[in-house]
Order: sequence, then C-alpha cells, then structure tokens
Amino acid sequence: MASISSRRLAKELTEIKLEGCPVGIKLVKADDLETWWFTIEVMGDSLYQGEAFTLQFRFDSSYPISAPAVQFVVTDGRQAPIHPHVYSNGHICASILGNEWSPVLSVVAVCVTLQSMLGSCKKKERPVDNDRYVRHAPENPKKTRFHYDDDTV
Amino acid sequence: MSSREPRWYCHECSADMMPIMAPHPICSSCHGDFVEKMENPADDPREFAHPDHGDLDLPPALGALLMAFQGMSERGNSSRSRRRPDNDAGSRITFSILNDDHHRTISIGGPNTLGRSNPEGEGRVPTMSEYLRRDAPTPPTIAGPLMAQYIMALLGHDDPILTRRLSGDFQGAEAGGMGDYVFSQEALDRIITHIMENSNANRPVPASDEVINNLPRDVLLEGSDILEKDCAICKEQFSLQTDDPDELMVVTLPCKHIFHEPCIMPWLKSSGTCPVCRHALVPQPGDPSTSNGNARPGSSSNRHSHSRSRSPGSNSSSQPGLLHAFFGGFGRTNDSSSRHNPDPDPPRSSADRNGRRFPGSWEEGLD
Repeated sequence: MASISSRRLAKELTEIKLEGCPVGIKLVKADDLETWWFTIEVMGDSLYQGEAFTLQFRFDSSYPISAPAVQFVVTDGRQAPIHPHVYSNGHICASILGNEWSPVLSVVAVCVTLQSMLGSCKKKERPVDNDRYVRHAPENPKKTRFHYDDDTV
Repeated sequence: MSSREPRWYCHECSADMMPIMAPHPICSSCHGDFVEKMENPADDPREFAHPDHGDLDLPPALGALLMAFQGMSERGNSSRSRRRPDNDAGSRITFSILNDDHHRTISIGGPNTLGRSNPEGEGRVPTMSEYLRRDAPTPPTIAGPLMAQYIMALLGHDDPILTRRLSGDFQGAEAGGMGDYVFSQEALDRIITHIMENSNANRPVPASDEVINNLPRDVLLEGSDILEKDCAICKEQFSLQTDDPDELMVVTLPCKHIFHEPCIMPWLKSSGTCPVCRHALVPQPGDPSTSNGNARPGSSSNRHSHSRSRSPGSNSSSQPGLLHAFFGGFGRTNDSSSRHNPDPDPPRSSADRNGRRFPGSWEEGLD
C-alpha cells in the first residue's frame, strides 16, 4: 500500500496538473515525489515586479505530518528574493514552515503564502543576521529553528 | 542563560559547557562527544574529578608542585616587563618522556626562553602541533615559564580546588572552566547560532498517550454522514471502499473535526493540536486559550498564533494570495472577502461543508 505521504503528494500533483496553479505560480518540475520546483512571481504592485523566483520543495515520508523543506533556489543564476525573512542562501523564515505547519496546508498553499509574504514586503532588505546565519546554516532549512518574532511583514 | 537550563559537562575538557546539538550533543569547545547533562545534583560528574569537594587539602607534594607552577607562570609574565630574565634561572624541573622511539624533554622553570634568541637556537617557542609531531628530527622542547603556563592551563581549567587554593576564589565551580569560554569569533558565532536555533520556546507539545487513547473513535458504517466529509490530512473523502481496514476507523477531536485514525495519530504525537483549527488538546506554548477546553473552530481564541505568526498578511488588508492559501488550496469559500480572490472558481473538490476556517486566527487579518 502506498504510504500516506505518497498518496497525498500524488493527489496534490494530480490536482495541480488538472487545475493549474494560482496566478503567478508555475510548476517547473516534479519528476518524482521527493523534489518539486515552482516559479513564483508576485502579481500586481509590489517591490518584486518583474522578478521571478524558483522555490524548491523537498518531501520525506513524514509529509504531510511534518512540513516539506522549502527554500528558494540560488544556483545557476537564480536568486533568492531580497526580503527580511529570506536569507541569501534561499532559506526562509516563515512560521508555517516550522512551528505552525499543519498537515491541512498543501504545496500550493505554501506557494501562495510565500507569494503573499513577498507581496506585502515594504522594504527590500536581508534579515539582519543574514551573514552569520548563512555561514553556519544547515543544508536543510528544516534543521533550523527560527524565531518568529515579527508579524509585521 | 536561564538557570533552569540544564548544565552540561564535557569529560574531555573536564568543564561545564553549552553543548552543540549536531544532532547529538558535542562539546562546544573540543567537539568531543563524551559529554554529560547535569540533571541530578546528587550525581554531579564534577564530583568524580574532585571527590572531596568539601575538603580542600591536597597531598603536600602536589600542593607544593602546583604552587611552584603558579609561581613560575607569574614570574614568567612579570619578567617580560621588568625583570631581568636571568633572575629566573633558579628552579628548574625536567621531565623525560619516552614516546615510541623518541625522547621528549620537558623543562619547567629555568631561564625564560620566551622571545629571546639563544645560542642553541631554541629561542623560538614551538607551537603545540610542532611539539606533538612524532617525526620531528630534533624534538622541540618547551621550557621555562611558558611550560608552566601550559601546565597551569591544563590543570587549572577544570579545577575548582586549584582555583580556590591559588587565587583565593572560593566560588570555585561558579567561576567557570575553559568550556565556558570561546576563543574565536567562529566559535562564538556557532554558539549563538546554536542557541538561536534550539529554542524550545514555541515548539508544539505532543498529546499524551492518555489524551490520545481517550479520544472518541468510530467505525465508519453504511449511511454515516461522516462519509460525506473529507479527512483534512490525506484530503480524501471518508469511504467504506478502502484497502486499509484502519481507514474505517475515524477519530473525532474535541473541536469536532474528524480524521482517519492512521492520519491523525502521527500528527498528535508531534503536536497535540487540531490540524484544522489548532484547538489544543494539551497545553501549548504561549496559548492562553488552552485552559478553555471548548475553543470553537474559527473562534478568535487562538490569538496567540496571530501574534506569533510570521505569516504574511496577517495585518494587511488585501491579500489575494492568502485567501488562496486558505480557500483556494483547501477548496472552500464562504467569506465575503473572497472578492479579493483572483481565482474564478475557488471551491475545489475537497470543500469543507462545516464552514470551518483555517486556522482560526488568521481570518482576523482578512477584513
């Protein structure tokens, strides 16, 4: 029997392919049920007009009980958006990817939440501790426990 | 550091320290893994090193030796500034260590060799790694007050007795050992990062076995109105047609949300909350509503997650994306503010017919 994880991912993928993603979000690749790539663009007026970012999801067998590992892709000329919650290595400090993850959330829901996180940004800047974090960051952002101390952005 | 934080002890440094969890605890100063959490004051690993905590008497010879080291190291320091080095030529102790094929000579005391050139070419003080190299043709030697300082560092870093005896500091262990200090920016960064990343403050608390076992369970039966609903975890409709007999068993949480038993169990073991409305089955960190056992889904009683949330848009007026996250993604809309929703056809297959909202707090930001 397929695991809960692969059944749930297969179902999400089918829905994405059938119904498409919300505006500004495109599936780039999902060759397996382990790593998916999306591009996201912020629609309408925003500091990121005309920019597109690549978002990587990595799943393990505990999905959706535990959150996917989500980060911006920063290789091959791709850049992480300059945002107070996005580190230059692509790691994202967002509570829904950590303590506030819920299995009710989905890949598309995460994309849309991050899209809207960018959309509401008032000032393009890196997190204050970017350099220090990036120097010692684990490869997998899920190994980092961020403090979610700021709900204004 | 909070005093409630457990103290750790590194047996390799013989010192208190903050471990780095990587993921198993290792010493932040030597990176060794022979570390111990000091939980029980009656079983303090420091006692092994100093079984007679209350009794500061040292064997007379050892005491004298330590005093001699201390004296030499102090003399070494001061001689650099004002004394004539030759004044130190007095006491000298020499050890010979037979190490494989090499003899190694360690001289303690004697003339201060630090920073002075010397006819035999021994003026340069070897580094520790040079000193420890086995294949050196002429093994370097360390002599003079520097050696005394090495030994003081080795002995002194773990030793409240020494500290007390030699410096009159009777606070002993409170004064801290080597493991309490860092010697480079990198090490400091590592510790700060470690502290930041390992705060337990807001981590979800799992439901206890007792709480889990007492949850009402039902077997799906023909005609049950549960069959019209979806399990929010696997996003499948409840069904009698299933390969897995466990999926005929459903669990209803106190907030009335229903899940397949095999879907909800692993979640409750990592977080004792309802995935849909975040109703807390067991007290959660920073949750003022926990004591209210009747938090309704969608009620505003989960304010804590609003204030803690870094979720975007929680205070902004127009967040089409957010609506997608809650409604598009979960396939429901019963909110007038769906005017923001650019998706022409928001209701999807897995519509929630209970009009519940997810998560309870986030809706506050939508209007």
